[in-house]
Amino acid sequence: MNKLKGIFKHYIVRRLVSYFFTIFLAFTLTFFFFRLVPGNPIGAFILSMQQRYSTGVLQSSEGDIVERYKEMFGLNGNLFTQYVRYVKNLARGNLGPSLTAFPTPAQKLIFESIPWTIGLLGVSVFISWLIGLLIGVLIGWKRDLLLSKVIAGLAIFFSQIPQYFFAIFLVFIFAYVLFVLPSSGAYDAFLRPGLYLKFIASVLRHAILPSLSIILASAAGWIISSRALVISILNEDYLIFAEAKGLRPFTILRNYVMKNVLLPQVTGLAISLGFIMNGAYIVEWVFNYPGIGRLMTNAIGILDFNVIQGVTLLSIITVLTANLIIDLILPLLDPRVRSGQ
Amino acid sequence: MKQTQLDPKLIIGGIIIFFLLFLVLFQPLLNKAIIGDTNPLTVGIFPMYEPPSLRHPLGTDRFGRDILALTLLSLKYSLIVGAIAGAISTIIGIIVGFSAGYKGGLIDTILRGLTDTILVIPSLPILMILSAYVKALNILTMAIILTIFSWPFSARVIRSQVMSIKNAFYVDLAKINNMSDFEIIALEILPNLLPFLGVSFAGSVVGAMLAATGLEVLGLGPSGITTLGMMINFAIGQGALSMGKWNLIFPPIFMLVLVFLGVQLVNMGLESTYNPRLRR
Repeated sequence: MNKLKGIFKHYIVRRLVSYFFTIFLAFTLTFFFFRLVPGNPIGAFILSMQQRYSTGVLQSSEGDIVERYKEMFGLNGNLFTQYVRYVKNLARGNLGPSLTAFPTPAQKLIFESIPWTIGLLGVSVFISWLIGLLIGVLIGWKRDLLLSKVIAGLAIFFSQIPQYFFAIFLVFIFAYVLFVLPSSGAYDAFLRPGLYLKFIASVLRHAILPSLSIILASAAGWIISSRALVISILNEDYLIFAEAKGLRPFTILRNYVMKNVLLPQVTGLAISLGFIMNGAYIVEWVFNYPGIGRLMTNAIGILDFNVIQGVTLLSIITVLTANLIIDLILPLLDPRVRSGQ
Repeated sequence: MKQTQLDPKLIIGGIIIFFLLFLVLFQPLLNKAIIGDTNPLTVGIFPMYEPPSLRHPLGTDRFGRDILALTLLSLKYSLIVGAIAGAISTIIGIIVGFSAGYKGGLIDTILRGLTDTILVIPSLPILMILSAYVKALNILTMAIILTIFSWPFSARVIRSQVMSIKNAFYVDLAKINNMSDFEIIALEILPNLLPFLGVSFAGSVVGAMLAATGLEVLGLGPSGITTLGMMINFAIGQGALSMGKWNLIFPPIFMLVLVFLGVQLVNMGLESTYNPRLRR
């Protein structure tokens, strides 16, 4: 007993160490990568400021101005000092000002985009998981029906199509041929964001096409994997025994089949949710949806380091945290591990 | 004994892939049949925005270019980008995967650490930055960029295959016969993994094409040529969706779906042919 507990404790410690180490490694790699990109964001920034306000006045002391702005964006000094400074600021929750919307801090832009991405992707990922699980289990259970074979074939077909192909297709049909749903944005521009019925209805209407494109693409994947899981256990002895006992098919499906499918699929769902912050960049781009993906696409266009770095770090942490939670909770859910304790 | 039956998925996938390869190999001839000796990229030969007709089966675009000819040329370049990227990542994968799988030790630890780290780094923004800020983005540089995120995964699956057969009896036999490690790898392990390496290569090609298409749709494609993803970006930019011009945007999408589907069907067919547990 105690020995097992010791092993488990050892496992948790090791898992936590690798969690923090991987965050550190991935963050450091991306940090130096971004800073080594041969672009000149400050020059472009000053140019755009000059064009917007007064031209010519700034030219005399251009060198000073470049230095000042570099300091403001944390781009002065060598790479290593930049790195140390960034980590120090990060510890205080400061990601630095954004170039896109100067002088708004990057973290503010990111936090404004997060709800849209979580709302769109979180809901879509969950719905596609649920649909995929139910359909996959049913067509695996009744795999000899013609309908099951047709659905399985369609699922293979759909699973090979990137989400944004569905997005393009759906926009074409529903926004430009049938004119029934909006083609872009997250809500009607004339509405002021707030918690009232008209706004919520507008948000939902705008979310239908983007989420449908994510659901169509990813439900297919869940159908295929759930079906394969069911088929892999159909010939197990305990199912044959349950049938021999005279249990009703539905009881077998619920108590024996579902149990075996659920554990790996819940793990899969958690992993997918972990990738939420990686966003659906291209779907957001097609719909001009104001989530993390659009923020990032715009930021990359002008090399807005602080926003790019902030979003990247957020993605890294989300993915790793989801995996950490799975690795720590899964042993507790698995009866084989539980009985060992 | 029951004869080994070819899986229908394998047959359909094979037909799709052969059809696509046919289109690519005979692209110059097909081009001649459609628009004569002109380069499909040449602007202003035909009237703009022609609807599909016998002369232009898929119509023409804003610059009066024949869309069918353009799609065939794009398919060729898309496949070339994918094939180069797939080949590079499979070759690196073989070198690293074999050393990690056969020798283990430090290389193995580094490889695992690397794949674990790369897996959590969001790849699309990195690829976007690279394609946006690398000077002179052409087919080759594009392909090299795409391999950055794909080779560790080729290496990892190849490694696990090497691990699974390195203790086979014929490898032991070779060891008893005093064959060197290199000889064992080149003469015993490699030939046995060839079919698997083929599948792994096809997977890398599709992975690279998926990533490339994403970048190109966002407008970050190589310059001077045309690819399927760039056609999609171009069509959206021209407002093909809002004008209801399906013939501008769906041909490249259709081709890409055919590529992805064909390779996937062949993969699944091979798996169910060689893995009897999945066959029923």
